[in-house]
Amino acid sequence: MKRLLIYILAAIAPYLAAAQEASTRDWVHKGINIPEVRVYGQRPMKEIGSQQTKFDTVALKENISLSMADVLTFNSSIFVKSYGRATLSTVAFRGTSPSHTQVSWNGMKINNPMLGMTDFSMIPSYFIDDASLLHGTSSVNETGGGLGGAVRLSTKPAEARGFGLQYIQGVGSFCTFDEFLRLTYGNDHWQVSTRAVYSSSPNNYKYRNHDKKENIYDEQMNIIGQYYPVERNRSGAYRDLHILQEAYYNSGRGDRVGLNAWYINSNRELPMLTVDYGDDTDFDNRQREHTFRGVISWDHLRKNWKVGAKAGYIYTWMAYDYKRDVGNGTMAHMTRSRSRINTIYGQAEGEYYLGKKWLFTANLSLHQHFVESEDKNIIRQDGNKAIVGYIKARPEFSASLSAKWRPIERLGVSVVLREELFGRKWIPLIPALFLDGVISPKGNIIAKASISRNFRFPSLNDLYFLPGGNPDLRHESGWTYDAGLSFAVGKQGVYKLSGSATWFESYIKDWIIWLPTTKGFFSPENIKDVHAYGVEVKADLNVALSKQWQLGLNGTFSWTPSINCGEPRTPADQSVGKQLPYVPRYSSAITGRLSWRGWTFLYKWCYYSERYTMSSNDISLTGKLPPYFMSNISLEKALSVRWAELSFKGTINNLFDEEYLSVLSRPMPGINFEIFVGITPKWGCKKR
Amino acid sequence: MARRFVGLALLYLLLLPCSCMRWEYGLEEEFDVSGEGLFICNEGNFQYGNATLSYYDPATKTVQNEVFYRSNAMKLGDVVQSMTIRNGIGWVVVNNSHVVFAIDIDTFKEVGRITNLTSPRYIHFISDEKAYITQIWDNRIFIVNPKRYEVTGYITVPEMTMESGSTEQMVQYGKYLYVNCWSYQNRILKIDTESDKIVDELTVGIQPTSLVLDCNNKLWTVTDGGYEGSPYGHETPSLYRIDLEEFAVEQQFEFEFGDWPSEVQLNGTRDKIYWLNDDVWEMDVTAERLPVRPFLPYNGTIYYGLTVCPHTGDVYIADAIDYVQQGMIYRYSKERELLDSFYVGIIPGSFCWK
Repeated sequence: MKRLLIYILAAIAPYLAAAQEASTRDWVHKGINIPEVRVYGQRPMKEIGSQQTKFDTVALKENISLSMADVLTFNSSIFVKSYGRATLSTVAFRGTSPSHTQVSWNGMKINNPMLGMTDFSMIPSYFIDDASLLHGTSSVNETGGGLGGAVRLSTKPAEARGFGLQYIQGVGSFCTFDEFLRLTYGNDHWQVSTRAVYSSSPNNYKYRNHDKKENIYDEQMNIIGQYYPVERNRSGAYRDLHILQEAYYNSGRGDRVGLNAWYINSNRELPMLTVDYGDDTDFDNRQREHTFRGVISWDHLRKNWKVGAKAGYIYTWMAYDYKRDVGNGTMAHMTRSRSRINTIYGQAEGEYYLGKKWLFTANLSLHQHFVESEDKNIIRQDGNKAIVGYIKARPEFSASLSAKWRPIERLGVSVVLREELFGRKWIPLIPALFLDGVISPKGNIIAKASISRNFRFPSLNDLYFLPGGNPDLRHESGWTYDAGLSFAVGKQGVYKLSGSATWFESYIKDWIIWLPTTKGFFSPENIKDVHAYGVEVKADLNVALSKQWQLGLNGTFSWTPSINCGEPRTPADQSVGKQLPYVPRYSSAITGRLSWRGWTFLYKWCYYSERYTMSSNDISLTGKLPPYFMSNISLEKALSVRWAELSFKGTINNLFDEEYLSVLSRPMPGINFEIFVGITPKWGCKKR
Repeated sequence: MARRFVGLALLYLLLLPCSCMRWEYGLEEEFDVSGEGLFICNEGNFQYGNATLSYYDPATKTVQNEVFYRSNAMKLGDVVQSMTIRNGIGWVVVNNSHVVFAIDIDTFKEVGRITNLTSPRYIHFISDEKAYITQIWDNRIFIVNPKRYEVTGYITVPEMTMESGSTEQMVQYGKYLYVNCWSYQNRILKIDTESDKIVDELTVGIQPTSLVLDCNNKLWTVTDGGYEGSPYGHETPSLYRIDLEEFAVEQQFEFEFGDWPSEVQLNGTRDKIYWLNDDVWEMDVTAERLPVRPFLPYNGTIYYGLTVCPHTGDVYIADAIDYVQQGMIYRYSKERELLDSFYVGIIPGSFCWK
């Protein structure tokens, strides 16, 4: 039955969509804007053959409590592995791992150089104005190492005139409070914006714990009864503050300068497992982070060429403390780890159009990391104290050249060559070839194909973490191919329907995995060869049902077998030929939006098929993660009064109050609610 | 046209499966096993709560997996470390769940549990009403009353902080209990079980991992030598024979630098010791040098756990394979003949004979 539903979804997915370019407020004032379908001849040269998913403002700015992890869960085909509300959330493309996803913010890579991955729960979606996914080969246009793909995040000028202010407050279940404030100023040359988000919650949602039982004893301590307790999520509180300062200057003569500075102050407890019998008042398990990211950019544009430069800096301080009450109220450290990362970033790029048929681009970037990792304080044999950790510096240099050629309007060819240096080690040349061609102008049916060889260098923890780091690790390598068809039809102001289907295939060698050792710690090894393949389907539909009604639907569907095709590790190994653990074979997400005047109703739904928890794909009683469906709804009313724009919104998450797990022993919240009130005063300022 | 689109949208939304996943309740199965048996503690993956307990009947060569879950309809927890049997009750130490479960060893039903622990590793019984539980990340050994399932006191280990705290396996000789201190440690503690005081300690090599008492009342431990880059040091690991009358090292058997020996075990008559060091090794307890040839050579299997049947002398070896699938147990006779092999749970790490 489940499989049948999946097939039905796949079959009808092309008929579903949504791509709204106008905000709710715009619809109130300006009516409904259905964009015109772009004719094939206007396809950007820079995107020849590229498989991208772009997120519009409506998806990114749905509500202030969402992180990018939430946005990606409901609006894309990539797999988001979440350990719970406001806890680590990683994303993976096409059956690869989170470290195979490269992430950039305003051009600067923000993957943690120690871990190689990015925590998307730490990125508020309200801080991102432009987001796109570069699937597989397409990531080579941006960076190397994206064996699965890349996520490109950036901010944009607010396009304000005069002073502006926007304030939104959210109050929700579990004493959750979300605040968002934005101040803007703009004129012909300057755009200045300050944004702040503050989110806090004890996050102590209730759930029935099916993994443990409470005992009832008689006086002789015999068990006379047992029951599954209703517990609260223990040790799950969080307080996150984000501040983003932006300033842009546009000379109006082809020069643009930008400054972006983002500060994060996060204090999060790490929730206890369902099988933890400890008293949460006896333990303090907490992660804190202070991060600053700053980028200055300059672009110089001319009619047929462009140069640009960027400089940036990242500072991250992370603390992990695991403390235990030793009986007298004193919390003693069981673990006290600290890490400091300083990254200096520089980039230069250029583009040159040679006529209408050629585009050449060049890009040089450097990320210089300085890392200090302190994992444990010990007493040495001589009685002196010592710290277990490492201090390392590593430059990461990347250079790329590309040539894009459109000999005729219906055909495009692009070649990218990229070379990267990690420390003193050059990785082999990364080549990528992209093709696209218009099969039929009627319906804008376009075929795309690409192929690339890619490499990912081990992270600093992979190489140097104490104990367990393995300096002898080889870099991971992969071949990726994809091919697909897309179409777009529509009528200006009436409807727009677009869709795509892409087949992909990747072979990844020397996949790095951390494994336990007989010495009690974990150590990484190159152990797996993986064959990931499958299909991604996307569709968008936007319809003006009448002058005041608008319907939007969008949908994605992925089929992503990710198969271990290496040699058996031992004669008893049953994992060869099996799906990788925690990678769903099927996933899908749908968003439906119905608007009428200032009202907007939103329905979000996502699905992940069963995830195996064992590499052998055995399903045991203790290792079962059944399919996962989730439905969220919201209703918003936008009002325009003489002195302000107002918005009122109510959301219901986990509409059907599912008791479910996304990761073993990590309970997720049941039905929960949040209301939002937003105000944008009219101070005589007006939007462009 | 508008109606058509609305109809299509509604139809679509109706088709969406809205509630399917259910976090399932288990069903309690009835077991009643008798005779000799072997419990296998499968650690599971750290932070995933998928530790399990398996039970093997050597006579019938049958194995039952996930017996704790199947019998109790609840999970065992996160990282099961060890199991000890006393008076028909099995005490299963679940490290990262901060709990020790007491189970009936025939039915696998829970009969009680000890909580309020820091990070338990092993339990040793002094009497029916007193037991010690060692910890990692705690500089205290917990004293518990197993009848009341409650913590009654602590033995604080000197020159050890909470953060570097590590007490491991326990062996009793007379009224004294010996404890090896493992992680970033190099000591064997001697505890007076009447006063619950540490009365002496012996320095050995870096990170002694195991502790057993042979038929001559000699204590054996093996060190892993630390690791490269450790501020605590990295040295050649050794096997130690310790004279308990003198509480001094009687003989040190050095391995090669870089070796990773572990899992010292005894046979039923306690006159042979076994350990893992890539291969499986066997040695008489009176030997004066390490054997040249292994008992069982490495054959592509990743040895993670080891035990010897106290009755037959059969050697059981655990293969964790890739640590994220069911591990395999190989059973060999004393004559090195493969008698049986069977799959258990994820990362089979320790054993307990019934």
